[in-house]
Amino acid sequence: MSATSEAPAAFRNAASRPGAVALIGEALREVASRRRLVRYLVQAEIKRRGANTFLGNLWWVLDPLLLMAVYVVLVAIIARRPIDDYPLFIFAAILPWKWFTAAVTDATSSIVSQHRLIKQIAFPKVVLPVAAVTAGVVGFAFGMVPLAGIMLLYLDRLSPLILLVPLIAVVQYVFTIGVALLVAAGNVFVRDLGNVMRHVLRLWFYLSPGLYSLSMLDEVTLFRENPLLVTLASVNPFAVLFEAYRRVIYGTLEGGPVMPDWLALGVLLAVSVGFVAVATVVFKRLEPTFAKVL
Amino acid sequence: MTDTPPPITDTEYAIAADGLGVRYTLRFSRKKSIQRTLGQWLARDPVEQFWALRDVTFRLVHGESLAVIGPNGAGKSTLLQVLAGIIRPSEGSVDVRGHVSGLLTLGAGFDVELTGRENILLAGAFLGLDDAVTRDLAPGIVEYADLGQFIDAPLKTYSSGMRARLGFAIATSVDPDILLLDEVLATGDSTFRAKSKARVLELVRDSKAVVLVTHDMAWVKEYCNRAILLEHGHVVIEGDPDEVVETHRRHTEEEKKRKAAEAKAAGLAPEIAGAKR
Repeated sequence: MSATSEAPAAFRNAASRPGAVALIGEALREVASRRRLVRYLVQAEIKRRGANTFLGNLWWVLDPLLLMAVYVVLVAIIARRPIDDYPLFIFAAILPWKWFTAAVTDATSSIVSQHRLIKQIAFPKVVLPVAAVTAGVVGFAFGMVPLAGIMLLYLDRLSPLILLVPLIAVVQYVFTIGVALLVAAGNVFVRDLGNVMRHVLRLWFYLSPGLYSLSMLDEVTLFRENPLLVTLASVNPFAVLFEAYRRVIYGTLEGGPVMPDWLALGVLLAVSVGFVAVATVVFKRLEPTFAKVL
Repeated sequence: MTDTPPPITDTEYAIAADGLGVRYTLRFSRKKSIQRTLGQWLARDPVEQFWALRDVTFRLVHGESLAVIGPNGAGKSTLLQVLAGIIRPSEGSVDVRGHVSGLLTLGAGFDVELTGRENILLAGAFLGLDDAVTRDLAPGIVEYADLGQFIDAPLKTYSSGMRARLGFAIATSVDPDILLLDEVLATGDSTFRAKSKARVLELVRDSKAVVLVTHDMAWVKEYCNRAILLEHGHVVIEGDPDEVVETHRRHTEEEKKRKAAEAKAAGLAPEIAGAKR
């Protein structure tokens, strides 16, 4: 009756210390064998977001729209030069950014909030941050509804290239998993990480070309005089991602949608895979101490 | 795993612990903030450590029921956590043969937005059960928890007694080879407590080996055939339950007397108590 998907608790030795490759393999197997758990956690998270508010799941749609309205007003007041179809311009960045912040914020508390369970049963803790990031995908998918609504106002910008959005989202997913693993494990040891991350995320957004375009940096004196800063700004993963999303949804400042910069995306994907590998090893090395520290 | 193979002396054991030690490093102990961590790190404070368990060696063969007793903070729960695979030993090794299950403090891991039925599936997934297995077990759990139509209502509408019943029903629905019990008997109202005690006894009879942490000495004498007394992380005595319980009782009394004497000395003449040290 007690058939389990898990191998029975095996020999445990203080001296055994698996290598990096073994740890990555272990983490992959854990997520694969606990797919169902990830799914249930994602479902619970979605229910939770919908359940506590009067408008419920309508917030998936309203939230990015209202945020967009705030930025449109803000930028209309301070901008030097108006950008054509600005609502769509920033919406292409707000959607992926909302996914990223929600995922990172949830991942930060994902381990700590399950402290009671972690001290009582042995289960792979990797599933918790992975579920947090995956739950964000659902929000991102819901965001396609308001995107379609806005698109109706700018039909001349609609092109089949918009179908490339999921492909760009895959790159973002991989990068986000890496960040999620690090903050989830880090928050176990340093509980102020949540506060720190809130401000890091805000600064990160303004340093990323979400409300503006990378090409507009040349108009800023500081950046014109220091080309190094422009290079720095463009290696930001979210510079690559925002520009890619914008190219297929909005287009460029000069015209309609164009192909994303495949080379930049490819490099980001490769770097992200390496980043996730490093983050996984760090996470798995720290994992055995979670139950002791929590 | 490339290290020396485990020294297997007897073949039919369920649990073999060899020189088990668990060390806690207090650098990152409970809820420290960056301020404190950085402060300590900069000041190069020596890292405080303490051994919750040290040199614990025992064998448990199939069919045995082992009681672990001792004063608070002796390392009893830590020992169970090591056996369950929740904490990795800092030294020594432990070999556990068979599927281990502990009775959760009821309701850890529940999600209040999910219904009772959904929480059964979630708990099963956390326990590492196949989804099909959990679905097979679900009707029995629902019946045992006796929640009526509440089983399809979100958990946030449950009373604490209902939650405890559901948690207990889930935890005891799996029949493990090795059962780890940590003071789980005191939950719910008196009728449910009687019902749950009967269920735990049933599990104890059915499982191949049991490790039980408890303060209930009557239970130890009645249902266990071996006992270990832990004090300050060390095994003080191991063997016949009556004998171990008696040693524990004696030690507790001595400790009480010592404390009383200390308090008396400190109260009446602090300078004498200080000079004695």
